[in-house]
Amino acid sequence: MPLPLQQGLFQSAVEPMQVDAIQEENDNTEASHNYVVENPTLDLEQYSAQYTGLAKLHRLMFVADHCPSLRVEALRMALSYSMTTYNANLYQVIHQKTQEAITASSVLPDAVAGAILNTPALDTQWIETTAKKAALKLEKLDTDLKNYKSNSIKESIRRGHDDLGDHYLDCGDLSNALKCYSRARDYCTNPKHVVNMCLNVIKVSVYLQNWSHVQSYVNKAEATPEATEHGKNGGQAIQTKLKCAAGLADLATCKYKSAAKYFLQSSFDHCDFPELISPSNVTTYGSLCALATFDRQELQKNVITSSTFKQFLELEPQLRDILHRFHESKYASCLKLLGEIKDNLLLDMYLAPHINTLYTQIRNRALCQYFSPYLSADMRKMASAFNTTLPALEDELMQLILEGQIKARIDSHNKILYAKDIDERSRTFEKAVAMGKEYQRRSKALVLRSAVIRNQIHVKSPPREAGQGGEMSIAPGTASSARN
Amino acid sequence: MASALEQYVNTVQVFSSQGNFTLLCEHISKSAETLAKHFHHLDNVMGTLNVQQHSLGMLGILCVKINIPNIPDFETLFVQTQEFVNLCNGEQIRYATESFADLLHKFANNLIERKTPVRGIAILAKGIQKIQLFPTQLTSIHAYLCQLCLLSKNMKPALQFLDNDITDISREGGNYDSKDFLQFYYYGGMIYTALKKYDRALYFFEVSIATPSFAVSHIMMESYKKYILVALILQGKVPALPKYTSQIVARYIKPLCQAYHDLANAYSTNRPNDLRIIVSKHNDLFTRDNNMGLVKQCVNSLYKKNIQRLTKTFLTLSLSDMANRVQLSGPKEAEKYVLHMIEDGEIYATINQKDGMVQFHDNPEQYDNSAMLLSIGQEMQKCMLVDEKIKEMDREITVNPQYVQKSSSIHDEDIPGSIKIPGH
Amino acid sequence: MAVIGENKISKMDFVKLGQDLENQELEAPAGVATPQIYGQLLAVYLLQNDTCNAKFLWKRIPTNLKTGELSLVWAVGQKVWQRDHPSVYDTLKQDWSEDIKPIMTALKETIHERAFKLVSLAYSSIHSEDLAAFIGLTVPEAIQAVKNRGWTVDAQSKIITPKKPEKLIDPPLSSDHQLSVLTDYVSFLEN
Repeated sequence: MPLPLQQGLFQSAVEPMQVDAIQEENDNTEASHNYVVENPTLDLEQYSAQYTGLAKLHRLMFVADHCPSLRVEALRMALSYSMTTYNANLYQVIHQKTQEAITASSVLPDAVAGAILNTPALDTQWIETTAKKAALKLEKLDTDLKNYKSNSIKESIRRGHDDLGDHYLDCGDLSNALKCYSRARDYCTNPKHVVNMCLNVIKVSVYLQNWSHVQSYVNKAEATPEATEHGKNGGQAIQTKLKCAAGLADLATCKYKSAAKYFLQSSFDHCDFPELISPSNVTTYGSLCALATFDRQELQKNVITSSTFKQFLELEPQLRDILHRFHESKYASCLKLLGEIKDNLLLDMYLAPHINTLYTQIRNRALCQYFSPYLSADMRKMASAFNTTLPALEDELMQLILEGQIKARIDSHNKILYAKDIDERSRTFEKAVAMGKEYQRRSKALVLRSAVIRNQIHVKSPPREAGQGGEMSIAPGTASSARN
Repeated sequence: MASALEQYVNTVQVFSSQGNFTLLCEHISKSAETLAKHFHHLDNVMGTLNVQQHSLGMLGILCVKINIPNIPDFETLFVQTQEFVNLCNGEQIRYATESFADLLHKFANNLIERKTPVRGIAILAKGIQKIQLFPTQLTSIHAYLCQLCLLSKNMKPALQFLDNDITDISREGGNYDSKDFLQFYYYGGMIYTALKKYDRALYFFEVSIATPSFAVSHIMMESYKKYILVALILQGKVPALPKYTSQIVARYIKPLCQAYHDLANAYSTNRPNDLRIIVSKHNDLFTRDNNMGLVKQCVNSLYKKNIQRLTKTFLTLSLSDMANRVQLSGPKEAEKYVLHMIEDGEIYATINQKDGMVQFHDNPEQYDNSAMLLSIGQEMQKCMLVDEKIKEMDREITVNPQYVQKSSSIHDEDIPGSIKIPGH
Repeated sequence: MAVIGENKISKMDFVKLGQDLENQELEAPAGVATPQIYGQLLAVYLLQNDTCNAKFLWKRIPTNLKTGELSLVWAVGQKVWQRDHPSVYDTLKQDWSEDIKPIMTALKETIHERAFKLVSLAYSSIHSEDLAAFIGLTVPEAIQAVKNRGWTVDAQSKIITPKKPEKLIDPPLSSDHQLSVLTDYVSFLEN
């Protein structure tokens, strides 16, 4: 029994300002950063060809980080590509990694290995010239901008900022790129400029993975008339670009359903921004998010029979099969196919952190759909339909029932799952009684609180230790402490 | 010098017979010093006074006596105080509630020092009734009574006071202090916890934590720790504190109770092993806080909660499966848990020993019988009563001159909607 | 001091007796009551299934008094607290003094009855040995006892199927009263 009184529990109260511990907020990104993919079937050459710029470099490096068998190849590609940019820093980082990867994969001593395995040597001359060229270009762009400013030609200033931003981006200086692109905002003279500015900011923000920024600039762009004009090709391309960026941001922030909706609004014919996302990405992200969050009707209407998305699905026949099997309730083969593509998906830098969640949601959705038409279901059959064992199925179902996704009860004795109808009448009574109790409790607390306030009761820092004990009676001093 | 005492007796008698108690109080408080000088003769003085007619005069003398350092003959004073509390005139006493309360505080402290707290229980209980205007009025003696009950491990006598929901607080000449308030709700919470009336205990701890504050109070912090533990035992989760809880709690108290938050987090995973890890990690701290007993009950309650979760998902389950799922040692232990939970009305189930299975049922209550109708009716009456009370308070506020003045000086439409009632 | 007349306590009196004993304890000189008061109060708490208060009572009894019969009463209390039914019956088998005999006899009956109720509520089938231990009888006695209550016993396996407890009889409601209460509700809700 936890009874003994607290010793001296009312000693002088702690000085309020002594402790000011602010709890650090942990980012709840999925902790599984250090996984390794063993057997991907990724065609790296083809994969890499879908992207340009930083998108290509980031993605290749992500593959290298998580897939030992593709590591060296991916890094080599990244290395040679980086030499087409002004990004000398990144070049050196990649070079360092490449060297490590090559030595790690061989048993020979460094120097020898380098010679034999053809480690590319660090091209110091290239670094130097690139740095020099970059500096020169920066200086020129800077001077240009100053001139424009002194002449106050709005349009030229805007372009000047943009050019400067482009250059910073090319050098890999993202924060300065973002600054320049944002500054262009003050010199936008028509909606088209605004949209352009937004697209630039969105691009850099995606590289920086600043998703709230992405989302707010998507909104900003969509608010301009230019972006909503459909007829023109340009309009469609902008629309699709915005949708893809918004989808990416929602995916990254775990808003899967809304992510699915954005991706599904992309237009296949205008989906061409290799510096951001590839059409096959749109297919994958859209399909998986839709599978995880759409109900049967939504899936049918917005995915399977969608004429625009059909074109996307042609790019990824496996996903198309998965979608169809899911819709045809062929869950076992659907889940099997999903399992097969999982390794490749784990090499996608945006999707990888969400794969497990999405897969679980898809599986749960399948379980719910499987059971939905039944009053009772044989769990043995269900287990084989889902390629799983009875105990494992029981666990999964238990979780779903607790979460309220399936309204059923398990007869573990006979291994039957029974649909359970809820007695709404009893439930209403139960709720009403609970509500009544809560009402009484809250109201009593309120009455008490008003008494407290009326009597000005509040905890304050203790006054100096005065008037203890021996004081005269009728006007007693402060009541002495509880137990001294 | 005896004349000073005679004069005291005289004044007491005259004022008392005139019913001039306010003046009498003043006089008595001025006489305290004189009385203290002659403390050897005080018993004689008391002999000349009548406990019913001269209650205030008696009180003045007792207050002096209790304030003498190292009271020479405590047994006599005990009997005198006992008789006085039992027989005094409540109407007179209410002119000097602060002195009366102070007398009983010091009386209680003396008993605690003498390690016989149980002797004060009946007297303090009587004392509370003497100065209360009505049973839902809180006095500073309440907290002391609770303390005596806890110390003497005799909880029951406090319940008649704890069970009353407080609607007013005795000011006791402005001496009623937040400390008395916090102690009452903290000790009260502990008494309810000891008697396993967790619902009430949780409410008491909540009141203590939500007391307006501008500084950190140890009582509030200890209340907060117990609030977490009791909430886990009772509800399996920690409910949010009321909105009006002081900022101090979130900013200064919560960060000081990290071990308890760890415990609640581990509890929310529903995994007994996770919980055990946290318990052993903070073992010393929980023991130091004198909360180990409650912590152990938390662990125990997690098993029960997990069994309750099973009842929501299964119609039938074998006892050995159940033991596995909730991490109990085996079917025998599982059967024991189920049996106890059925006995306590925590689950609805039947054990089938023939097949080693448990069958789970829904609550058999169908809300279709007159007993239930009656009980719902009673609940509604209670709601209506408390609603009436709040409306009455609302009316009082609207006719309060200060309120009227204040609200009419602001824009008419800005009158703050007097009292917000939940659910209205 | 109120002493209970031997064997004269009816069931109704136990509540009153408990209250008297509680007051006697509070008013005991020097804060220590007699072993007789403690013993009776402890037994009454157990009879009322008030294990919390029984436990605290035992805790506050001065150590030098925790001997003899008083400790035997608590031996019962401990088993009740642990809900160890078979042992409760063992500890109850004592030659109690006249002071507490009536209470202990009533306690035995109550526990016996409580056990029956619990079994019928919690079991759809139970082995006869388990049941016998639960109600403190030998197996043949137990089988006879449950047969008297109309429970079925499988002759071969000796598995007992308890009869479900009957529903409580609904208290009758007067429709006049109902109507007036209903009127109250409506007028409350309309205001």
